[in-house]
Amino acid sequence: MAYHEAVYDEPLIFEYRSGTTYKLPGVEGKQKIDLPENLLRKELNLPEVSEYDVVRHYTRLSQMNYSVDLGIYPLGSCTMKFNPKYADAIASFRQFSEMHPLQLQSETQGELKILYELQEYLKAISDMDAVTLQPLAGAQGEYTGILITRKYFEVKGELGTRTDVLIPDSAHGTNPASAAMGGFNVIEIPSSENGTVNLDALKAALSEHTAAFMITNPNTLGIFEDHIEEIAKMVHDAGALLYYDGANFNGILGVTSPGIMGFDIVHFNLHKTFATPHGSGGPGAGPVGVKSHLKDFLPVPVIGKDGDRCFLDYSAKHTIGKVSSYTGSFMVLLRAWAYITYHGSDGLRRNTVNAVLNTNYIRKRLEGRFSIPYKTLKKHEVVISTENTGIRALDAAKYLIDQGVHAPTIYFPLIVHEAMMIEPTETVSKQDLDRFVDALIESSKLSPEEVKKHPMNLPVSRPDEVKAARDMKVRWDGSTHGN
Amino acid sequence: MDDSMQSNPEKQEIAEFVGISDEMELFSDIPKKFRKTDLKISPGISEYEVISRALSIGELNRGPDMINFLGNGIYDRVVPSTVDSIIGRSEFLTAYTPYQAEMSQGALQSLFEYQTYMAELTGMDISNSSMYDGFSTLGEAVRMAHRINEKRDILIPANIYDDKQKVIESYLYGLPVRLVRYSVDSKSGFINIDDIQSRITDDTSAIVVEMPNALGIIDENVPKIQQIRKNALIIAYVDPVSLGMLSPPGEYGADIVAAEGQQLGIHMNFGGPTLGILSFRKDYVRKSPGRIIGETVDSNGKRAYVMTLQTREQHIRREKATSNICTNQALMAIAATVYLGTVGPSGLRKIAETTYLNSRKLKEKLGGLKVADKQQLTGKPFSDVLVSFRKDVNGLQEFLSTRGINGGLALSRVSSGAASDVRNGAFFSTTEKTTDGAIAKLAEALEVF
Repeated sequence: MAYHEAVYDEPLIFEYRSGTTYKLPGVEGKQKIDLPENLLRKELNLPEVSEYDVVRHYTRLSQMNYSVDLGIYPLGSCTMKFNPKYADAIASFRQFSEMHPLQLQSETQGELKILYELQEYLKAISDMDAVTLQPLAGAQGEYTGILITRKYFEVKGELGTRTDVLIPDSAHGTNPASAAMGGFNVIEIPSSENGTVNLDALKAALSEHTAAFMITNPNTLGIFEDHIEEIAKMVHDAGALLYYDGANFNGILGVTSPGIMGFDIVHFNLHKTFATPHGSGGPGAGPVGVKSHLKDFLPVPVIGKDGDRCFLDYSAKHTIGKVSSYTGSFMVLLRAWAYITYHGSDGLRRNTVNAVLNTNYIRKRLEGRFSIPYKTLKKHEVVISTENTGIRALDAAKYLIDQGVHAPTIYFPLIVHEAMMIEPTETVSKQDLDRFVDALIESSKLSPEEVKKHPMNLPVSRPDEVKAARDMKVRWDGSTHGN
Repeated sequence: MDDSMQSNPEKQEIAEFVGISDEMELFSDIPKKFRKTDLKISPGISEYEVISRALSIGELNRGPDMINFLGNGIYDRVVPSTVDSIIGRSEFLTAYTPYQAEMSQGALQSLFEYQTYMAELTGMDISNSSMYDGFSTLGEAVRMAHRINEKRDILIPANIYDDKQKVIESYLYGLPVRLVRYSVDSKSGFINIDDIQSRITDDTSAIVVEMPNALGIIDENVPKIQQIRKNALIIAYVDPVSLGMLSPPGEYGADIVAAEGQQLGIHMNFGGPTLGILSFRKDYVRKSPGRIIGETVDSNGKRAYVMTLQTREQHIRREKATSNICTNQALMAIAATVYLGTVGPSGLRKIAETTYLNSRKLKEKLGGLKVADKQQLTGKPFSDVLVSFRKDVNGLQEFLSTRGINGGLALSRVSSGAASDVRNGAFFSTTEKTTDGAIAKLAEALEVF
């Protein structure tokens, strides 16, 4: 499939001067404002642009942006699956979007019912006992879990000694960052030669100082931690909590669950597993589920139900307080509710099976061509190394994007050299899987000099990142570019 | 046909290639005792049925057709049609974080424009490309101040919203930092400069000021803060729309600005998603959280945009990162950019001035009612008009609700710290959408409260 992205020499919005045309209600002309002079703004140096130019400008920019609606987007651990359109339609209903968060609960029964049902869905999926929908992203969910951990040991009177959080070396970067934000020491646990947690190293690190062990299962190599039962026992025997990073939930949903595996805390990434659109970087939503012994520590309010009436429940005795302004990212939560309602128990599980099937298809097609470290059977993603081909992962990625295929996550996890972390998800056809695999194999057949020329079909070629960091030009400086 | 390997021929083909005949072979590494036997969720339904169900649940809501005077952080403003049109474009809506810069120039340039807009609006050197929401952004701003000077005390107004303080506390949980409250003058609603001055020590990290403040007042004492700050950093929490009319915090010495950006073209959304705005002085960029977009050139010398200064971030620095933030609110940042592009600086000024003049009108009207207390705050509100009543305002919001009006939020519901200063206070918020007719209806309803 030939591919050329739209290429515009599009100026910045600040270089337009067609004059504002948008009509607003309100006062006309210059107003006398009875406030001290030093409080009043003298100038606001922003462009006056017509509505038609604003729309053309951002439409042109949008055409220089690859998205999941254009094709496969196999970023590992990002679960870039198709974002269903019915969820967009529902999120546009003004019965939902024109609601104020400080309205009376008697007026917001519809919003609360959606939230309550989503809490119940997530409990059923994860086999946890209580859920908060308040965290606004996966990392904020992690941080919420860390705060719950702190408060739990504070109430137990063990916070002084429980100073460490253990994290595998293959973990997402947010895990150590969240633990450190909560004031814990981070101790890295190495992986064994088959890519799972090294049990001896874990055993050696666990002590009365351990507050939690944070892992994702399947891990970032796409491998199921099959010793999870022993891990849970070891962690609990040490008096610590077991934390589940839900970024990789798409590899097990409906087949097993963090609750069954013995986890105490779990966060979900609704913008991954539950197909809410990622919006070029956000918004997401990172609900957190806990087992009953941690229920009293959740942020408030959670959504309760009394007969037919839903209500904001502030009763959690040891609540950590609040992590965000209101009850969560409602429109994202609503979309996830729609996704789960649509797919139901049968569809959710089938999606997992198909996602794992697609991953193993890619794995099998790439075998022999690239080195694929660790155990053969993968779950939601597969990590390959381009090292054996003589082509760097970065170069292969740039070749792929030139073919109209988004590149996998590269150079992660850190424990694999020249890593490419590939997560196809269930919403991709065999044709697209093959197109991706063929392009990746083609890249490995090019000479290192040839592959470095890519990309050539995109609005820009490789950007100078060193210059960007050195010059630190992070806002328009008033110059025009004469495009 | 369903999309399973049993019935979809393409899936069968894939399964054959992989070499499996039973789907459970894909999960042979999951111990049998850990297999989930029941997923207690109803079976899937059609798109038509999901939409019907959502519509019928939506019917349980009341609000969109009521007269609205609720605000206090989330406002019922005009959302230009351009905004929903652009952020509804699937190229923006369904893209991930722009990891592959060459195929994501559209989002990168839009976010670069957003950074410029926010820096200019707040009078700061640099804005990042978005945070989650207002409260958590303030939490991150306080952490950032502590990273900059490693001092202990954060001074906050005694009447700060309870929930805002709770979120700040969540963000400080693991740090050797304490919150110190300073007082607010109960007549004017202005912050008490002498009290702040008396609380500043060598161990003061930052002073948090709000504009407008928690009482909704355009605080005439806030600019004085720069004369008494000593070495403390100033963190300003502002209403971005008010900046169409009011001095940017950069002019009164702010080092870090945090804001809730919902008002910039984002629907109320029951409080989310909204937009966290964070801007700051250039010196502090390496201590700042969040993603930043930078301009550079490509290998042919052509202008290009990339995510930059990533060595502060979690995916590289892990436990030493300035923040754990990864996913942010990029789409809402694009919404704010399209919003500001559409209304322009003259439009933003008009929106701010109309809001202000409506709030003056509303205050005058309600202040003259029999139910209103003789003594009202002397400070001028921007949008959230706090009215003191002669009787208890618990039940006021319910009373108005039955008359088709949303408003009358009790001060005690948002700020327990202020409730003792202002007797029987309740809020009514204005925007550019507030009409004289709506104010008259509100006044009429209140007369019988």
